[in-house]
Amino acid sequence: MNELLDQLMVAIKAGKRKDARAATAAALEAGIDPQSVLDALTEGMNDVGKRFRANVIFVPEVLVAARAMQKSMDLLEPVLVASGIEPEFSIVIGTVEGDLHDIGKNLVMMMLKGANFKVIDLGVNVSAETFANAVAEHNPNLVALSALLTTTMPAMERIVSELSSLNSSIKIMVGGAPITQAFADQIGADGYSADAASAVELAQKLCA
Amino acid sequence: MNLMETHEMPDKTILLKAIAGEKTERPPWVPFVGVHGGALIGVDAETYLKSADHIVDALKIAAERYKPDGLPIVFDLQLEAEILGCELSWAKETPPSVISHPLDDDYDFDGLPEFSIEKGRIPLVLDAIRRAKSEIGEDIALYGLLTGPLTLALHLRGDEVLMDMFDEEDKVPQLFNYCAEVANKMVSAYSEAGIDVVAVVDPMISQIGPGHFTDVVAPSLNKIFSHVRAKGALSSLFVCGNASRNLGAMCATSCDNISVDENVDLVELAKLARDSGKSFGGNMQLTVVLLLGDVDDAKRDAVRCLDQAGDGGGFILAPGCDLPYAVKPENLEAVAALIGDPYHIDIIRNLPAKDSNDNFDDILIPDYVNSKAVIVDVVTLDSAGCAPCAYMMKAAQEAANVYGQEIEVHEHKITGRDGLGYMTKLGVTAIPSISVDGKETFASFIPERHVLVSAFAKAADAKVLSSSGLGEAL
Repeated sequence: MNELLDQLMVAIKAGKRKDARAATAAALEAGIDPQSVLDALTEGMNDVGKRFRANVIFVPEVLVAARAMQKSMDLLEPVLVASGIEPEFSIVIGTVEGDLHDIGKNLVMMMLKGANFKVIDLGVNVSAETFANAVAEHNPNLVALSALLTTTMPAMERIVSELSSLNSSIKIMVGGAPITQAFADQIGADGYSADAASAVELAQKLCA
Repeated sequence: MNLMETHEMPDKTILLKAIAGEKTERPPWVPFVGVHGGALIGVDAETYLKSADHIVDALKIAAERYKPDGLPIVFDLQLEAEILGCELSWAKETPPSVISHPLDDDYDFDGLPEFSIEKGRIPLVLDAIRRAKSEIGEDIALYGLLTGPLTLALHLRGDEVLMDMFDEEDKVPQLFNYCAEVANKMVSAYSEAGIDVVAVVDPMISQIGPGHFTDVVAPSLNKIFSHVRAKGALSSLFVCGNASRNLGAMCATSCDNISVDENVDLVELAKLARDSGKSFGGNMQLTVVLLLGDVDDAKRDAVRCLDQAGDGGGFILAPGCDLPYAVKPENLEAVAALIGDPYHIDIIRNLPAKDSNDNFDDILIPDYVNSKAVIVDVVTLDSAGCAPCAYMMKAAQEAANVYGQEIEVHEHKITGRDGLGYMTKLGVTAIPSISVDGKETFASFIPERHVLVSAFAKAADAKVLSSSGLGEAL
C-alpha cells in the first residue's frame, strides 16, 4: 500500500489526529483516489474495533481513534462527494426515550462511520415518533437503539413494536449494558450486539 | 419446633470484620437500597432523593425486611456534581442524570461554584445519616457513598476527559486532584455524621484500561482512601460494568474492599483480592435475577456468589450495584432468610439446575391410595449431616411407633437422585419436609408428636373412606 496511506492507517490506529489530518491532506494532494483513502481509514478503524473487542484497547483509545478519523473525514468528505462516492448503507441511531446516556451510542456511531455507513444520529431520549419520522425521511437500511438503564428497556420494546408495525421491512438492532440477546429476541429486534465493534459486523450482516 | 437454626441478623460486627478481611461465621449481607427505598414507601425517585424523612423511613423498612448487616444511606452519584454546576434531569425510577458539563469548553476551575457540604442535597443526606445512625445504626453498618474521581471528572468535563488523558498532561491530573479534594470533604462530613464505611463509587472505571487507571485515576483514589483511614472508617471501591481487566490495578490501591457487579468473575476477584490483603463483595445479578427473576432465582444466585467467593473470608454478599427501583422485595427477603441459615444454603446448592428438563421418570413413587400402610416420606438434605433433618426424621419415626398401625417411614436425601425425584414428584416446598401418603403435610417445621400421630390416623381414615367409596360420596 502507498506509504501515505500506511501513515494514515498508523495515525488512525494510534489516535493521532494531527498525523491523520496531515497524511490525508498529503494523500489527496498526491492524487491518490479518494476511495483508496477511505479504504485506508476503514481498515484503520476496523483494526481499532478488533482490538477493542479483544480487550486490548478501551473506550478512551477508541474515542481518540474516532476523533482522528473525523479529522481525516473533514478533508476527505468533500472530495468523496465531488467524486460521487457515497456510503452504500445508512442507519438511524439513537438512545431510547427516558435514557440520556450516549457514550455507548456514540461509540457505535463512530465505529459505523469508520466502516463507511451513513449515520443519522437522533441523539438521546428519542421517542418512537421521532424514530418513525427519521425512518420516513431518510429511508435507512437499519435502525439502532441504545439503552443503558434497566428502566428504559420497556421503551426499547415499545419503539421496536411501533417501528415494526409502521414498516415491517425495517431492520432494527439493539444494544446497551442491560440488553441481552434473549431480551432482543423477546422484543422482536433483528439483532443484538454486545459491543461497538460487534455492532459494525452485525450492521453489515443485517444490510447484506 | 421451628427448624430455622439461623445466625443472628443483622449484625454489623460481622460486616466490619469481613471488610477487614477476616473470616466470619456467616457472610455479611448488604443490599444496596438506593432509589428502591422510594418504592418501599411509595414515592418516586426524585421525591425520595430530596427528603431525609423519606430516606430514613425507607431505610427503617429495608432494615426490617431485608435484615442487612450494612445499608447505604443514599445511592446517587450526582450529589457533588449538582453543587458544582452540572444540570440534572430527574426521573421517576432512577437517580438523576447529569445533562451539562461546566468544564465542557475549558478547564476553568475558578469558574466552578465553590464546593461545600452546606450546599445542594448534602445537608439532607447528613441529616439522614445522623437519624439512621440512632434508629438502626447499632446493628447495621452505614455506608456513605461518594462519587469516584473518574465519574466526577466525566460529570464536570464530559466524555472529552477520556480523550484529554492523551492530550492534556497538566490539566487532567489537576482535574483528578480537584475531584479527590471534593471527595475528601465528603469523607470528613460522612465520618463526622457517623458513617462506618465510605464507598467510593466509580462505575466509569470499567470503561478504561489498567494503564489509564494506574496513571490517572489511582493516585486520586489513594488520596481518598488514606483520608478515610485517617478518619477511622473503612473504605470500599465500587465499580459497575466489566472491570475485569482493572482488577489487579484496583487491588493495588489502598482501599479495604472492592465491590463489583455480575460482569466480573468473582472467582478471579476472590483470588486477586485475598492475595493483596483486601476484602471483596458482590455480585448478585441485578436485572435478570433480582428485578425480573423469582425467589428461587435469587437464592440460587446468592449461593452462586457464596460458592464462587470461597471460604477464605473477607466476602460481603451484595447486589452488583444500586438496586433497581422496582426490584422485588421478596427476592431480597429470600436472600436475607438464606444467608443466616447454613442448612438452607446446602439445600439450594443441591437442587438441580432450574432449566433442567429432568422429570425423574426413573424414580417411581408408591401407589399411596392403594397402599395398605400409611406411607411417610421425609425429604431431607441428609439426616446424617443436617441437624434439622435428623430431628425431623427422628420425630417421624417416633410418631410412627406411637401410632402403632401399619405405617412406613422413608427418608429421601436430596443429595441423591432418589431425594430429588421425590422432591419433584411430591411438590415438596421446603427441606426438610414430611409428606403423608403423597401430600406434603409439614415443611420446615416439626409438629408435636400428637399432631403427627393424628395426621397419620387421618391419612389411614382417608384410605378406608376411599376404598369403601365413601370418599367420593363425601
